Amino acid sequence: MSDLWEVLVRHFPEFRSGFLVTLQLVAVSFAIAIGVGLFVGALRISPVRWIRLAGGLYVEFFRNIPLLVLLSISYLGLLRAGIRIGPWVAATASLGLYTAAYVAETIRSGVFAVGKGQIEAALSLGFPYRRVLSQVVIPQAVRSVIPPLGSLVIAMIKNSAIIGVTFALADDLLKEARLVNSRTFQTNEVFFWAAVGYLLLTLSATFAVRALERRLVVRR
Amino acid sequence: MGYLFDPDNWRWLFSGSNFRFLLSGFWINLQIALVTMVLSLGFGLVLALLRLSKQRVVSVAAGVWVDVWRNLPLVFIILYFGLAIPEPWRDAYQRLVPDWFPTAFQSPFFLAAVAGLTLYNSAVLAEIMRAGIVSLEKGQGEAAASLGLRYWQSMRLVVLPQGLRRMVPATVSQLITLNKDTTLVFILGIQEVMRHARIVMATSDSPFVGTGVEAPALQVFLAVGIMFVIVNLALSRLSRRLEIRERRRTGVETVRVAGLEDQLAVAEATVPPVEPR
Repeated sequence: MSDLWEVLVRHFPEFRSGFLVTLQLVAVSFAIAIGVGLFVGALRISPVRWIRLAGGLYVEFFRNIPLLVLLSISYLGLLRAGIRIGPWVAATASLGLYTAAYVAETIRSGVFAVGKGQIEAALSLGFPYRRVLSQVVIPQAVRSVIPPLGSLVIAMIKNSAIIGVTFALADDLLKEARLVNSRTFQTNEVFFWAAVGYLLLTLSATFAVRALERRLVVRR
Repeated sequence: MGYLFDPDNWRWLFSGSNFRFLLSGFWINLQIALVTMVLSLGFGLVLALLRLSKQRVVSVAAGVWVDVWRNLPLVFIILYFGLAIPEPWRDAYQRLVPDWFPTAFQSPFFLAAVAGLTLYNSAVLAEIMRAGIVSLEKGQGEAAASLGLRYWQSMRLVVLPQGLRRMVPATVSQLITLNKDTTLVFILGIQEVMRHARIVMATSDSPFVGTGVEAPALQVFLAVGIMFVIVNLALSRLSRRLEIRERRRTGVETVRVAGLEDQLAVAEATVPPVEPR
């Protein structure tokens, strides 16, 4: 038991910096995922057939490919092809583009949940398509999209752990834990504290989403 | 773009046994996925039932167990078991494993890989199954009880068949995630498709061990990615078709999931789907 505390006290700086790097990775990747996801989601609900198809292609590709393969392509692949993007860019772009496919699907199902009848009603009242989207569909879709987006943040936190230990693209929490472990060999203690770090992130995200959801329900 | 589609950069795929070698690695991934799938579905069901137990201690303990394992990164769990399973166990496994098992299954770290994958996925699947059972109206269980069925009988005959059937789409989407996640055992040095890809890249341009045709990393990994995309797409199409047929046959409505990641499935399962009016 005393070992447990000792490991935390002695290696707190490493754990803290790893924790912060994980947080940054998730924040940057999430920004990318939201940006690209909104765009692809918009493609997916376009009235033009081939634009919808392009969005579908993006979603099916990035959703069905392992994140590790994406990381390999964006880091090793581009490096050998002579395209130099930094490790940080490769990491956040992979995680961001991967999650963007899920964000796009979330947005699409959120929009569909609004119901065709409302859209038709608005159109028949003479609203232009843009205003139907901005004043009828989006305000309602946002509500149903919040809980799944929250789950995606949690999935991102977990997926971000792949970045550090496979290609050493960033010194995130798991990478730091592995480094500390290779010096101390106190595997159980080190991984216990790393697990606490990850659970702190994922569980607080869970509670935040739940609180947000409750507020939106009350307002309805 | 020119680089990506340049036929010279794809010549490696058809030279020597490169393609067959990649495929054999991919086959290992599928086998690992299959083994883990069976184990996770079994343990997941047990966990879900424990979590729904009327004994408070049992249900709370199962709930904590499930919440801890499904909220940790999978790669973290795999790495932990890789480092923490003591050497005698690894040796014992290697001695016990039959010779006719695939080579990758004989790796001393295989136990760690399967343990990690199973712990994580059984927790996620338990949550999905629980959501399916809970989403069933209470009347179903009560009706079964009033017909004189015991707890296990009503579970087996009434609640589970309906509850689990509802969650087929969510389960399949998690199995697709599991299929992708098998690449993570690469960090334990198990000979699967990511390792095979590395080997192809390293050896293909050598005139001694390879065929002298360079295999660029981008194209090799893209080829691996496409294998996953094809199999996963087929899986989701198959589940969609099965679902439609089942619905016609039994009239059980499944919970719609857009094929999102694990917890998303659960989030949507606990919220009743919005019916278009």
